[in-house]
Amino acid sequence: MHGKLANIRQKLTQGGMWKLGLFFALIGPGIITSNVDNDAGGITTYSLAGSRYGLSLLWTLIPILVALIIIQEMCARMGVVSGKGLSDLIRERFGAKVTFYLMITLFLANMGNTISEFAGVAASMEIFGVSKYISVPLGAFFVWRLVVKGTYKSVEKAFLIACVFYFSYIISGFLVKPNWHEIMTSFVTPTIKFQVGWLTMAIGIVGTTIAPWMQFYLQSSVVDKGIKAENYKYTRMDVIFGSFAVNVVAFFIIMLCAVTFFTNGLHIETAKDAALALAPLAGSYCAWLFAFGLLNASLFAASILPLSTAYTICEAFGWESSLNTKFVEAPQFYGLYSLIIFLGAGIILLPGIPLISIMFYSQVINGILLPFILIFMLLLINDRKIMGDYVNSIVMNILSWATVAVLISLSLAMVLAAVVG
Amino acid sequence: MATVNSEPQVFLFLSHILRKKVVKPDGQQVGKVVDVAAEFVEPYPVVTGFILKDGRGQNLFLPCKDISIVDEDTYITDIPSNKLQEYRPHDGELLLNNALMDKQVVDTNGARIRRINDLQFLQAHQGLYLVHVDVGFRGLIRRVGLTKTMDKLLQMLFDYTLPDQLISWKFVQPLSSPDLLRLNIAQNRLSQIHPADLADILEDLNIHQRTAVFQALDKETAAEALEETDPKVQVSLITDLNSARASDIIEEMSLSEATDLLADLPKAKAEGILREMEKDIAEDVKELLAHPEKEAGGMMTSSFLSFRPTVTVRQAMETIRAKGEDVDMLYDVYITDEEEHLLGVVTLRDLLLASAETILADIMDKRIMSVNLNDKEEVIADHFAKYGVTAIPVVDDKEKLQGTIMFKNLLEIVAPELGK
Repeated sequence: MHGKLANIRQKLTQGGMWKLGLFFALIGPGIITSNVDNDAGGITTYSLAGSRYGLSLLWTLIPILVALIIIQEMCARMGVVSGKGLSDLIRERFGAKVTFYLMITLFLANMGNTISEFAGVAASMEIFGVSKYISVPLGAFFVWRLVVKGTYKSVEKAFLIACVFYFSYIISGFLVKPNWHEIMTSFVTPTIKFQVGWLTMAIGIVGTTIAPWMQFYLQSSVVDKGIKAENYKYTRMDVIFGSFAVNVVAFFIIMLCAVTFFTNGLHIETAKDAALALAPLAGSYCAWLFAFGLLNASLFAASILPLSTAYTICEAFGWESSLNTKFVEAPQFYGLYSLIIFLGAGIILLPGIPLISIMFYSQVINGILLPFILIFMLLLINDRKIMGDYVNSIVMNILSWATVAVLISLSLAMVLAAVVG
Repeated sequence: MATVNSEPQVFLFLSHILRKKVVKPDGQQVGKVVDVAAEFVEPYPVVTGFILKDGRGQNLFLPCKDISIVDEDTYITDIPSNKLQEYRPHDGELLLNNALMDKQVVDTNGARIRRINDLQFLQAHQGLYLVHVDVGFRGLIRRVGLTKTMDKLLQMLFDYTLPDQLISWKFVQPLSSPDLLRLNIAQNRLSQIHPADLADILEDLNIHQRTAVFQALDKETAAEALEETDPKVQVSLITDLNSARASDIIEEMSLSEATDLLADLPKAKAEGILREMEKDIAEDVKELLAHPEKEAGGMMTSSFLSFRPTVTVRQAMETIRAKGEDVDMLYDVYITDEEEHLLGVVTLRDLLLASAETILADIMDKRIMSVNLNDKEEVIADHFAKYGVTAIPVVDDKEKLQGTIMFKNLLEIVAPELGK
């Protein structure tokens, strides 16, 4: 009897510990992706959204959260079930021609994102008084070495820890003692303004929160981890948790910038202005705090984005793509990787280039591209030959096709508003 | 297939065939070619017919023999419409566009994973044979339909024409489905790859492909590849097998590798496999498992040969020939007394050079260095470095011979430290 009890207890603790361990072992792809999600483009777009349009865009975060969870969950599920990356699946299902043009588009969009990360490096270091002609080449070289030398994995943890920076927005958010009633009212009251600027901003928020390149990145991370279908539920938790985290941070940045800038009639012209939102927490050091956070976010994303892009393209075209190979064995991979970094950094070095606009408009491009990537994903995930019994449920399909429709109409509305207005 | 072409041999790409129309002699369109069915025979798969899509979107099968004339962009057939049947798959037959195009394959010659951009056929001996797969950029651009643009551009800029990159079908192992893996099993192309390269390929594949490929290997090849694979991948591959099959493969591995692998597995799985294994091997493994992995006892193998000092060279060589096949350590044989105390070592070289009737006591080297079961890896590494030997015998506290550590096994432990 006694032995039996001890046995049961042992089983329970073993099971419990094992499950907890498993959760931590499988945690990762979703959390990391979500932290990379708040990159230079993200911080800038959310800051601009709050400062220009006040609280009127806050409610969009609710449907965006739902869409983000749905989309990332589909990616993770496809990765686990098929064991293949997104570009691999697209190539096998839609053939060479479609893949070729899609990869060119993705390359250009990701190029835009990389440029925006280096814009983030330039903008943050300018706050410290360092010229972009010094900071950007150094940043580019740092990122390039990091991955080619294979030290990325150890630095990833440092990047992740530095992401506690986002808490400073949350803390500041409480310190300013905003009118929570007003904020919550705006949060749950959908308003739409038929203005080019407002619509562009909405697309930018969607594009930065649900960036197309991140879906490719998430899926290949899941594949690389070799997660099996029976452990999929932990990955789903990871993805959902990550999606929430992104949106909480977005909520506080938009809200804080609305309170700090919009209500006082101020505008964000440079990164230094945007730092003022953190003044309640850091006082006169807010600029440094912001610069540190922006630099970390930019470098973090800049080390993943070019790599993920090169990987995605090489996977689609069947080129050798592993960091364990030498340059001569994988010339396309290293070539693409280096090209993206050095072109991305090089463009920022052009004199007089507007950093804030670059960070913002690259996200708008993401938002316009997203529904098309989503269509591919939906066709793939409903293909029983690939997904077997793990195809989408009807509810998922309705929600995700609705997302596609909304996103396309949003882009069309923006064009229409531009033509009319 | 009858043909108007007087050329005896013509190469054709699948991307080209897929654009062809099929018409009646009077010009009435029957359909468009959407896929090609081929029977997988050695050495080259032979095309049996074409899958057409007619105006109503139905898939029809047009056997090769019913095509009377081949034109640049059209096939002309005089088969009556009511004879065209829907396609039914046969054993050993596959639809090439569906099964191979855009999919990953292993190039067994270059030992790399490639993606198929196009397929090339040879039209000869009244038939159409799949002879090459195209994995090059030119093939990709052909599929996109920009060959002419690319050629002009490259000619203008660099005075260069990008060549086709073709791999002979003989060196292609498709991966996309279990059916395809099984197709080639008789010929077993993967077993032609060096085990170390095969291990690299296994590591590169995704988790599903990896399992499928591994399960398609014969047990000798699987064991050889497994020895060279990363421990984490080893565990995931073995966990996916049932205990009987897993024990078959592990039995083929060297004793020390097998022990290391079993030590990494979850306990229940390892015990299940041990139960299925041959008694004597299982006993040896269990003995080795008792020692910590990073001590001499955990690194050694107990698969070696030992002789009494009075044995002659002839007798020793006969024993080696009879038993050597399954022995891990053959280059040194150990000389022991009745109680297994280590007396000396004789190398294979000594045995070859000595005359047949010499007794081992006369040629053995008595200045033998050994390590204790509990010695740590540093001590062992120092011994190897100092004495420049290929193997070091391991003894217990009573100086009785227990096993031997081969340099190869030490290398696995030391290698990760080398790069730093």
